[in-house]
Amino acid sequence: MINKRIKWILWAGILLVLVFYPRLFGTYFTNVFVIFAIFALYAVSFNLLLGYTGLLSFGHAMYFGAGGYATALALTHIEGCPLFVALLIGLLGSVALALVLCPIVGRLQHAAFAMVHLAFGMLMHVLALKLRNITGGEDGLGGFPIPPFNIPGVVSVDMVDPTNFYYFAVPVLGVSLWILWFFTKTPFGQIMVGVRDNAMRVGYMGFKVTQTRAVIYAFSAGFAGIAGSMYAMFQNLISANCLNIGNSFSPILMTMVGGVGSFFGPIWGSAIFSIIEELTTRYIEQVELVMGLILIIVIMFFPGGFTGLLGFIKEKWFGSQSGKTATEDIS
Amino acid sequence: MPPSLCCQPIFESTGNFWLSLLLAPIFTGIFGVLVERFLLRKVHAFGILAELILTVGVMFVIYEAVKIFWGSDSLYVSVPKSLEGLVNIGGMDYPIYRLFIIGLTLVILGIMALLLYKTRLGTVVRAAVSDADMVNALGINIPLVFMFVFGAGSWLAGVAGVAIAPILSVFPGLADQMGMDSFIVVIVGGFGSLTGAFIVAMICGLLSSYGVQFVSQLAPVLMFAFMAVVLAVKPMGFFGERE
Repeated sequence: MINKRIKWILWAGILLVLVFYPRLFGTYFTNVFVIFAIFALYAVSFNLLLGYTGLLSFGHAMYFGAGGYATALALTHIEGCPLFVALLIGLLGSVALALVLCPIVGRLQHAAFAMVHLAFGMLMHVLALKLRNITGGEDGLGGFPIPPFNIPGVVSVDMVDPTNFYYFAVPVLGVSLWILWFFTKTPFGQIMVGVRDNAMRVGYMGFKVTQTRAVIYAFSAGFAGIAGSMYAMFQNLISANCLNIGNSFSPILMTMVGGVGSFFGPIWGSAIFSIIEELTTRYIEQVELVMGLILIIVIMFFPGGFTGLLGFIKEKWFGSQSGKTATEDIS
Repeated sequence: MPPSLCCQPIFESTGNFWLSLLLAPIFTGIFGVLVERFLLRKVHAFGILAELILTVGVMFVIYEAVKIFWGSDSLYVSVPKSLEGLVNIGGMDYPIYRLFIIGLTLVILGIMALLLYKTRLGTVVRAAVSDADMVNALGINIPLVFMFVFGAGSWLAGVAGVAIAPILSVFPGLADQMGMDSFIVVIVGGFGSLTGAFIVAMICGLLSSYGVQFVSQLAPVLMFAFMAVVLAVKPMGFFGERE
């Protein structure tokens, strides 16, 4: 009982901080926070594959990029395209790409799955560079109009202002995260963990393993698409850089460092990397060197990542049983 | 470990070509052994995904370290004096150095095939891939075998890196480019199949050469398209075994 009340107070506190965040920290840190939130959603959607279903993808950036490009193209070519329609087009764009790739990748697992994604990710990267008349090549698509947040007859808020965009982006990303969280708690989410742990047994129980993987795959792609679409609108630019290998690896880093298999792990990871990036860029140029070293250390010594470490500390100091991660309570 | 292939030919700028062809692969081989012994082996228990992600981390570190030590500019390696010039084959001038590479790869392929299919060591390696625990139980030191195999793989990557350095120049992005090609070849050929890798490497080479000739705009896409078609029909590659 008391625990539940503390939890509510905690959530209310977080909400209050989020509401007043732009006033407290100024424009620069507001932008940093929006980028953090976008990558948190991106990493959580990735973790749906790696942590919950056991599928490692080296090319998740193509869904991030597909969402971004779909939104950017919609805003460039459709006159007066509303904000949420643009977001929806981003979502549908990456889901469509996922459905096209499903028949090919759905039957693969482990290393083959990862490598095929590496190759398809590169394919998308090359296509974005080569199809200059559609994607703008190296320059990418930029300078498209950002529509205002518009409820006809009630209110119209200009979205070019970063503070206003914050109040649009953070609720959307928050709701997306909540939907993903809810998704992992449904019976289907439990099957997903079953597929990771023992696919054959799940198959014998009468569930369709390949189709389950495909649905999760499309779901994960869709939310990566929302992240990408939000990123495109926030930067007012989407370029081929969003599709390169580095952007495919960043959710892997975030997920591993934050804690794989725990829902909140990737969010922690995204926060940790935002902070590291802020700090290291002031001293050295090689941010990736630091990140690579952190990744190696985490995999070797803290396989549970940051959330694993938190659970460990909690158990040791408070003797509580909360070391269990969210996905381990199934069997 | 593709990045090590790009970092070693830089040895070249100091010494002569033959010395670097000998020394650089040995260096990458030792590096591979060290990575296996001190990094990969520790996470082996967590499964293949952890190993894959760990190599990504190692790749990041090598990539950035290369940039720190040698900068991100292209370095040029000249063809050794004895292999310069062209030779006339059936009315067509062909660079001697490329013939040398063809010869070198054929020799290495022959040695690899003999080693893998005709010796006791090869039998052990192939058995270890299909069931490591069983082979271990038979009294063979599996960690040692894996360490040797990983080292040999890194050594071969080093040889390839030195061999290609005079043709392409040496720059940090070389690793991405070559690593990508070799991944595609291995996936399409099927994991653990020497024949498959050889045949698919040939097909890919021809595809990209003719691609540049006829559809230069979309040449880089051809290989991916080829991979997609093959995997749609045979998910485990041409010569891969079903799980």
